[in-house]
Amino acid sequence: MLFTWFTLTGFIFLFSPQNLTNKFQFAFFRFFHWPLSIGRNISLFADTQQPVGDKDVVSRDKYEQLQNRLDNVIQQRDEEHKKVETLSKMRNIPAWDRMGFVLADVITVSIDELRSELLIISHNDSDDCLTKGQFVLYNNSVIGTISDVDGRSAKVRLFTDPSSKIAVKIGDSDDLLMQGSGGNQATISMAKHEVNVGSNVMAGKKTGLLDIPMIIGKVVRCEHNTEPLLWDITVEPVSNIQNVKSVTVHIIIMNPPK
Amino acid sequence: MRWFRFAALLILATLLQASFFADLNSKPDLLLILLVFFAIYCNTSDAIITSFTIGFAADLIGRTMGPQMLSFGLFGTLLAYLHQVIAIRKMTYQSLAIFTTALLAGTLVYFLNLIKGVSSPPNICAALFGISLYSALVGPFLFLPSAWWMRIKINRLKPR
Repeated sequence: MLFTWFTLTGFIFLFSPQNLTNKFQFAFFRFFHWPLSIGRNISLFADTQQPVGDKDVVSRDKYEQLQNRLDNVIQQRDEEHKKVETLSKMRNIPAWDRMGFVLADVITVSIDELRSELLIISHNDSDDCLTKGQFVLYNNSVIGTISDVDGRSAKVRLFTDPSSKIAVKIGDSDDLLMQGSGGNQATISMAKHEVNVGSNVMAGKKTGLLDIPMIIGKVVRCEHNTEPLLWDITVEPVSNIQNVKSVTVHIIIMNPPK
Repeated sequence: MRWFRFAALLILATLLQASFFADLNSKPDLLLILLVFFAIYCNTSDAIITSFTIGFAADLIGRTMGPQMLSFGLFGTLLAYLHQVIAIRKMTYQSLAIFTTALLAGTLVYFLNLIKGVSSPPNICAALFGISLYSALVGPFLFLPSAWWMRIKINRLKPR
């Protein structure tokens, strides 16, 4: 009898709408925010980076941040050039100036073969600053999108998560669909052209969410698909997402509703 | 059964799994180890309650609600009944029980997630095997502190 009642409860949870059952998860993370942060800090402590002594040398984290910024600016410059060519006499506002950002703290990081997810809480006091689908940035690169929201808390599905699908571009290619493959990688299956290892992969524009393409990863492998003339491309994040555990790092969410 | 102690142990394991172990690629599943521990060392009705409760806790820090509660509940109950027939006292048997339960429970979670429309990684088998193996290696050693905390005598080395 006990077993039957518990099983019934389990099935109720299973078939309830996810936005309803998510409230239990968000409530747990809000309630245990403090001990969870301690657990993360202990985990971080073991991974503490050595201070850089030479003043001409920057840390890996800072280097990635600057490199991503550079790649984004180059991409933006190219986009602006195209616009200038077609609309040469019209006034144009740089894309970065049109964007809004919300800072958020990371509560938990879950990155393994089965899922790649962050749980964040925004700094903004407003409850409606986060919405599903917004892009999340770290070190000037896209790392994922918001998948569930509950007030100021949200789940971020990283682009390496198996259930994540994001439209991307490599160079001047058409839009390609990139799907996460768990761990720290994502794949673009059956691309029509071969690409060079190390090429930048840019998250495609999405109206209202991402005004300009932004760097998301780099190509680490390009292999022949079983179909002739098609290629399978493996992509890794440009930022070490493990570093998102760093307590000083904030997540930036683009274009929050005003 | 000391339910307050059980609640404290469950919360501790859940918090550790969600924070300390969350971003490791190879990690044991603390909640699954607890599931096997209570299935082995509790009476059947307590084992059913603890199995479903541990499954609920696993769902709270998991992707969706429901799959792990059902899966843990089912296999915890089965293990508790199995323990009435075959005693799982030696560490090697306990490792084997953890490994098998982890594989079976993980597989059921995978299918229940499919019903719910949650896609799974292409290398699910490798990931499941890894978690099961690590849990089986670590699990029996965690039985000792768990038994001390729960004031349960495990009599592992004594012949029955």
